[in-house]
Amino acid sequence: MWGSSTNKQQGGFLLAADRVSEACSVGRTDGPGASDNERNRYPTNSRSLRLFVPQHQLCTSTQSPSTQTHSITIHHCALDIEIDIQIIAAERGEQSTINSPQCKTNTRCNPPFLSNLPLRSNAPVPPPNGARPPRQIRGPQSALTDFLASHNINANQIRQDANARRQAALASQQAVDAANDAPSPDSDSDPIPAPARARRNESKAQSAKRKKDEEKAIAKIKASKQFQRRRKQYNSDEEMSDEDEAARAFFEESMAPLPDQTENCEECGNRFTVTPYSRRGEDGGLLCQKCTKLLDKEEGAARKKRKITAGRQRRQIQSNLLDGIYPGAKDLMTLCIETLAKNVDLAEDFGDLPASMVERLSAILCKRRLLKPETINLFLRPGNDTVVVTDGASLSSDDYIRIFQYCPTIKYLRLRDAVQFKNKVMDHFLATNITLEKLSLHGANLIDDERWDRFFTEKGTHLKTFQLHYTDGHFGDEQLELMPKTCPNLTRLKIVHNQKVTNKGLEHIAQLSNLTHLTIGIYNPTNSPPYVKIINGVGPSLRTLCLDKAGVDDSVLEAIHTNCQNIQKLRLTDNEVLTDQGFANLFTNWYNPPLTYINLHKCRHIDSTDPRDNPDGIGFASLGFEALMAHSGKTLRYVDINSCRHISLESFERVFAADKKYPDLTFMNISFCQAVNDFVVGSIFRACPNLKTLVTFGNFGVRDVRVPKGRILIGVPTALGMQIEGTEDGEGRVAG
Amino acid sequence: MSASSEALSKYVTLISSDGFEFVVLREAACISGAIKRMLDPKNAFQEASRAQCKFEEINGIVLEKVAEYFYYNYKNRNREDVPDMEIPPELCLELLMAADFLDT
Repeated sequence: MWGSSTNKQQGGFLLAADRVSEACSVGRTDGPGASDNERNRYPTNSRSLRLFVPQHQLCTSTQSPSTQTHSITIHHCALDIEIDIQIIAAERGEQSTINSPQCKTNTRCNPPFLSNLPLRSNAPVPPPNGARPPRQIRGPQSALTDFLASHNINANQIRQDANARRQAALASQQAVDAANDAPSPDSDSDPIPAPARARRNESKAQSAKRKKDEEKAIAKIKASKQFQRRRKQYNSDEEMSDEDEAARAFFEESMAPLPDQTENCEECGNRFTVTPYSRRGEDGGLLCQKCTKLLDKEEGAARKKRKITAGRQRRQIQSNLLDGIYPGAKDLMTLCIETLAKNVDLAEDFGDLPASMVERLSAILCKRRLLKPETINLFLRPGNDTVVVTDGASLSSDDYIRIFQYCPTIKYLRLRDAVQFKNKVMDHFLATNITLEKLSLHGANLIDDERWDRFFTEKGTHLKTFQLHYTDGHFGDEQLELMPKTCPNLTRLKIVHNQKVTNKGLEHIAQLSNLTHLTIGIYNPTNSPPYVKIINGVGPSLRTLCLDKAGVDDSVLEAIHTNCQNIQKLRLTDNEVLTDQGFANLFTNWYNPPLTYINLHKCRHIDSTDPRDNPDGIGFASLGFEALMAHSGKTLRYVDINSCRHISLESFERVFAADKKYPDLTFMNISFCQAVNDFVVGSIFRACPNLKTLVTFGNFGVRDVRVPKGRILIGVPTALGMQIEGTEDGEGRVAG
Repeated sequence: MSASSEALSKYVTLISSDGFEFVVLREAACISGAIKRMLDPKNAFQEASRAQCKFEEINGIVLEKVAEYFYYNYKNRNREDVPDMEIPPELCLELLMAADFLDT
């Protein structure tokens, strides 16, 4: 009969099956939902079997029909009792047999217990020697303990027995091990540390076996694809470098109780029902809902915040790189100005801040769109001679008028995006006796030609610098014609993004005899003669010459070569007529001292049907490049030859050869120069020790290049798109 | 002190207008262009020989913040994603003037 039991517990009680099942139901009737009928049948104070089976006790029942044996296993975790109750159908008159040797040796098999049961037992068993008398004073205890105590069973005794058995098992195991000369499985060389939750009631032999199983399982996990995938994920965001550790974490996760099972909370030890959302604690155990909430509260804010800001930080780093700001601590001045910009609403007055700082502050405020009618007052101090507004889009006409009212001593006025600087403001300005030396207006497209005429006639005498951007349909040839007569002191002239000026008007610039800086960028198609005339007229004194999108030919280059002797900054862009030979002639035997700034971007030949060839040598190419670097290499600080696509690899190699040095070069843009490759970039970094920023968009030969410390390489094309890479030293920076 | 020996002195003293003294790591303090030039033995200023700089126009509160910045910068000199140092808004303007003067 014992053999039919599948349970391996050593202790056993023999009970009548239906009695126990009834007893269990009786126990349940003690609860709030029990009917009176049931209570009457089995009064709670009766000596009949009452088994209170709490939720956390596992109750299994097996029945084997052939032997009429029922087996009920009750695990009482709190008392650490594992009882196997075997029930014989004694009610039907069958004699209960307790002739199993296991049962005989089992001190927990208590005959009085059986005799007290409401069943007929014909085989009383003598009381065992170790049984204690029932105690008189008792604390609160569970129904089961109560019941067992009433039958002279007690937990201490059971534990002692269990320990004794364990000792015996261990002794026998050790004996076997010693006989086999095998190393003890529990020796210190155990590669895997014991899990946090040690098993109780486990002999060393059992634990060794379990550990072996665990090892096997972990090895299996390590080999699994799922684990490899997971490990990659871990590696990407957290340091889970140790493979063993990762595998163990994975293993314990898979061994964790499933949802709807119960588990003890790692933190508070309370029992709770596991859900799919149960969180893991520090040691890998599951947490109850309460502790989860607490933990979430503790780290929740930080965790969420980090995730949100990570993207923003990455963008900020990229933005800084593109702005040429090398990552690292900002300087104190920047920190202060940024803090000041953040708290600009608290500021009442900037005090005696130097003008350069006020300018920087204004620029930062504008960048953040903080320059509003309220904040502009901070920059308007009586006695001030400079007002710079980098973004005046949110200022109204009245605010611009206020500039002249607050600062009657103003000499230098620079306004960008000053759309509201219109006729009304100009009228007010013309009515004052303010004499501007510098006027730089950007986007003021609402001032008509009549106002411009009045401006030049009334205020032109003192004007030294005049810069005008984006005036749309205003400011044309007539105004340029007027300027030489009314503005004799003009030294800087910049007219860009102008839609009205034509060839005819340009010629008048040649009469501005004091001109030292000239920038022209007009939308109407122009050709060489007026430019040649200008250069013949003012060329000798010019220090800056910038011609954007001018459809000029080599005659302009020749004029520059012959006339200009003081040029420092030269910009000739967007041209498909100038030839390589023309550039070479310009820079060869040029009387002009070496340049500091050169920008020849988009001077190149484009033919979509035959993109590679350049039979006529159009654009700034190899000859011109070598001549330029030979002439100006010593002093050049800024070089932009972006899109000059016919400069050959050999040319680059010769210019940046091992014996060449360009000590002043700080910025270089060689984007879309197809010959550029890793070697060229490396040579450039070597030849230009002070190069801060190198831009190489669209150069597919640049793939994997070492960037020296403190340098920025922008625009490396990669399959990944935007990419930040530290190099071997983790020093230089690359922005995609 | 000879020029060679204070080139080796690891710390320098910064003295504020109201007499507060801040002993700062030389390498950290030399982030400031002005202090670097003051302490350069080649320039043979008195500051260089004594390894201390007195700032008549910077008070103790501001100089303390400046010293804090020196160490903040020194600590983060080779790092990326450096969190900005907190600057109390009320100190901002004075600190800005000091930063301008010290060339940091």
